[in-house]
Amino acid sequence: MAVTESVQGSAGERRRATAGKELDGSRPLPGWRRYWPMYAAVSPFFFLFAVFGVFPVGYSIYLSFMSWDGIGDMKGVGWENYAYLLTDGDFWQSITNTLIIWVLSTVPMIFLALVIAYALHTTVRFKAFYRVAYFMPNITSIVAMTLVLGSVFSNSSGLLNNMLRAISAGEVGWLSDPWAMKVAVAAITTWRWVGYNAIICLAGLQAISSDIYEAARVDGANNRQTFFRITIPMLRPVILFVAITSTIGGLQLFTEPQVLFPDAAGNVGGPGGEATTIVLYLYQQAFIFNRFGYGAAIGWALFILIAVFSVINWRLIGGRDELAADKRKGKRRAR
Amino acid sequence: MVVSRRRLLALSAGAAAAGGLGLAGCGSQRSLGAKDEITLWTWDRSVSDKLVGAAETKGIPGAEGLRLSRTNIGGNYNTKVRTTLAGKSSVPDIIAINWDVATYFPNQDEFVDLNDFGAAELKNRYLDWKWKQCVTPEGKMIAFPMDTGPTALFYRTDLLKDAGVSTDPAELAEQVPDWDAYLAFGRRLQKSRRNTVLFPHLQNVWETRLGQLPARYMTEDGEYVGGRDEIREVFELGERVLKDGLSAGVVQDSTDQYGLITSGRQPAAIGAVWWGQLAPESAAPKTKGKWRVTAPPGGAANVGGSFLAITRYSKNPEAAYKFITWLQSPENQSSAYDEMSLFPSSPRSFELPPMRKPAPFYGGQRTVDVFGKSAEQVKTAFISPYDRMLHTVFFAGMASLEAGKSVARAWKDVQDKAERELTREGAI
Repeated sequence: MAVTESVQGSAGERRRATAGKELDGSRPLPGWRRYWPMYAAVSPFFFLFAVFGVFPVGYSIYLSFMSWDGIGDMKGVGWENYAYLLTDGDFWQSITNTLIIWVLSTVPMIFLALVIAYALHTTVRFKAFYRVAYFMPNITSIVAMTLVLGSVFSNSSGLLNNMLRAISAGEVGWLSDPWAMKVAVAAITTWRWVGYNAIICLAGLQAISSDIYEAARVDGANNRQTFFRITIPMLRPVILFVAITSTIGGLQLFTEPQVLFPDAAGNVGGPGGEATTIVLYLYQQAFIFNRFGYGAAIGWALFILIAVFSVINWRLIGGRDELAADKRKGKRRAR
Repeated sequence: MVVSRRRLLALSAGAAAAGGLGLAGCGSQRSLGAKDEITLWTWDRSVSDKLVGAAETKGIPGAEGLRLSRTNIGGNYNTKVRTTLAGKSSVPDIIAINWDVATYFPNQDEFVDLNDFGAAELKNRYLDWKWKQCVTPEGKMIAFPMDTGPTALFYRTDLLKDAGVSTDPAELAEQVPDWDAYLAFGRRLQKSRRNTVLFPHLQNVWETRLGQLPARYMTEDGEYVGGRDEIREVFELGERVLKDGLSAGVVQDSTDQYGLITSGRQPAAIGAVWWGQLAPESAAPKTKGKWRVTAPPGGAANVGGSFLAITRYSKNPEAAYKFITWLQSPENQSSAYDEMSLFPSSPRSFELPPMRKPAPFYGGQRTVDVFGKSAEQVKTAFISPYDRMLHTVFFAGMASLEAGKSVARAWKDVQDKAERELTREGAI
């Protein structure tokens, strides 16, 4: 591997260099004087990362123990922000909303992404066109698309409800009914990310060796068996990646509900706040009500939540192989 | 061009150094703009473009050698202003502030006291209630009045005629003096057009009714009065509106809300002066000439309006003050109304020619007679720093009625929530 090679390479050089220096009779240069050009070369990234990455993260920890309106003096409040968070009904509602929207968007999305990836894999003609077409939503302006889809979902003048009325299926309160609101947000999210994930799954599909499929065919497996016994298990690492990134993305959902339900006198997330996600709630508390300390505390609560869900994902989808292997080993030893 | 490694290193070192200098640079200056510039931050359509443009090119009247530099801040205006104030660098001399000027009361030291520049002399030029909104409970005047949002009853004459209701402004005002009469008026309109509504949603009832009351959520002494009977009656009023089917229950600020005006489903509305431009004039341009305005049922109210404030970082607060008082002089306020529909806060401007023009959209009616009278009758109600937060609580409470909650339940939830939030803010 490249990394090991370069490490060995530099170690070799060092040995040679020291050998040369010893011959000259001079002492080797101290580490920093020899390596500073390398450090200087990589430093711009670390400088910017420290200013715009590490510092804000660290500062938000500090901020979460403060009460601050953004202008005046900060006041230390200890764990008060976190204590309030635990008893804040709106915060818990935002967690429930986020999780519901996440399930409503991620489950169909992963399924659709697999199907589309499989279809793209087997297409013969216009391959590049289809791939670009499915990827398009992901690079389209999310705000612009939400505005457009917002008028599609509009309750009485929307395209969708007009279609439903045309087939006399009645109308759905896409922007006012607690469940329909979540479905609308989930639909926009799914639409945006399904192509992206399909392309990732496609890459995974292409990495599966055709030998395995041929062997399966020789053994007499049908299409369904091949799909469930070969394709899905071989794709597990890819599915894990897709699941984790969608979890992180899904729990941080913000723009879609924010644009779909415009801030009405400071109330976010539509009627009853039924589409208020965690980040949207953070935004309301910090940037509408100027409670920056509380906003920071919500941010850290979200961090914990994402960590927990990532671990669950990993155990569910990725961890099984190692677990099974451990069990097998254990059994063998027992014998 | 092939970038060699050496060249790339040199380039990135240069970029890093420039970036460092840039960062240091923005820390060195507290006030935004050059020495001979008075900087102004506004949002779109908040001040007269013509007058501001003149001050930018020809200089500020009364402050020789100084010119104005205006920036329209898009997006989340409040956040950007707060961030700049918190950063204490490159702060503009003057900022525009929306109706919720009171949210800046806890940080009143960030602004200069306009009384130091003799603002008191101009007090009688402006509406008393508007002036009082600029003054903190400690007596510091942190902002100067800009435009206001007096309310009126807007109605479409053709649809009222169909229902056999009088369309003469004076007669209609007499027939619909209060909310009981207004609801009866709505039921009568429903007889000629079945699905007629008077409100897009109950939040609209809340907003218009609250402005008519002599007090809002808090008193000047910091006492919470949002639990009084007068306020509870607004919730009961909301229930009656629902029972009569006079609320469309659409999502606030949605396409559907303006659709009600376009389709004529909502033939009348109690709205502030800017509503006319926002709704019928933009959403239903074909109804030009069919609209009229008259005194609102239940009394005059103010919804919206804005202010200008001078920050403490200003390099020349005196010149900034001169600019503000020039921009908001009665003459200039009346021309700003003509140009941008910004309704003046100075009653003197109501008499000036630009405001006396008949409005073609309202069938040649002199609308200033209605709005001007309304503006002068607005009750002085104290707006507290917590009003913005409490507003959302009560808004959500009214909306929950629409979702099927009982008045008793919604009322209890709102009071609990208000108390909890105020306790947390340390207000009660």
